[in-house]
Amino acid sequence: MVDFVWNVRSPLQQAVMPGRAGAIVPFAGVKLAEIRDFDLVQIFARRGQREATAKAVKKHYGVDAPAPRQAVSAKGATLIWSGPDQLMALSARKPGTFRPVDALRESFEGIASLSDQSDGRCLIRMSGLQARAMLAKLTSVDLHDSVFPVGTAATTSIDHTAVNLWRSENSEDGSPVFNVLVFSSFADSIWHTIVDAAAEYGIEIETRSAASV
Amino acid sequence: MRIACPFCGERENGEFTYLGDAKPKRPFVAVIEDGKGAEGEQDAFYEYVYLRDNVAGEMSEYWYHGGGCRSWLVVKRNTLTHEILSVAAAPGTGAAVVDVAMAKAGTE
Repeated sequence: MVDFVWNVRSPLQQAVMPGRAGAIVPFAGVKLAEIRDFDLVQIFARRGQREATAKAVKKHYGVDAPAPRQAVSAKGATLIWSGPDQLMALSARKPGTFRPVDALRESFEGIASLSDQSDGRCLIRMSGLQARAMLAKLTSVDLHDSVFPVGTAATTSIDHTAVNLWRSENSEDGSPVFNVLVFSSFADSIWHTIVDAAAEYGIEIETRSAASV
Repeated sequence: MRIACPFCGERENGEFTYLGDAKPKRPFVAVIEDGKGAEGEQDAFYEYVYLRDNVAGEMSEYWYHGGGCRSWLVVKRNTLTHEILSVAAAPGTGAAVVDVAMAKAGTE
């Protein structure tokens, strides 16, 4: 039998054009990055197993499971609250690993359902001094420092598209960093929405591997 | 109008979908050997499926947070003023709710 070559490509391969976009300004107000090569597993506590799941998370990742509306950094992974009794575990893809749930199966056996979402979502990172102003056009969630500090997560909608939105550590220039996980099939649409919203501030676009973030 | 989801916090109503009155309960129907329904069963189902009160004032309603955490909620709302009096997770909608019930049962 003939073997075929299967090239892996991001659903945003055509949409994301690294370089500058939007207004011509000395410093881009918004920096957009598509983060590629990540593993994403949804961990959903089974009925009545919330405490047991929280314990298993602590044991496996070495940190407390994220409280509601929180995202936490753990050993080699970011844990993002995604709704009652559920969270997402995001990590850089390990070369040669095809089934990220395999590494978790033992820890969550019988207490939580695991679902591999790695290729089901795209991850877009937004930073820059105008990132918050840009996002304010797209979401009704209040992103002010006082209500949406570093480590806050929201399961919400952007442009009628379901997203997981969370804030990670500020970038070096002190500007906030927001992350959006979006269903792959909606990624192209939401990418263009974001680029349109950011155009007036000037945009710097790049792609990055999750391992380098 | 905004709804304070017990899981997500306050969100715009565009994230929610309205189902309707949370009061009607599905009639309980015992299985009867001869295959005939119980007395009044059809009327009870007719009422459950079709008849709704047109409430002017406080009302319990089902809302679905589909644009957010995908939880079903029971919202007490004043239909005249749109004032929202309370929001709670709908019973039986998820593990969290069951946990709360279990925790309560444990303390009693």
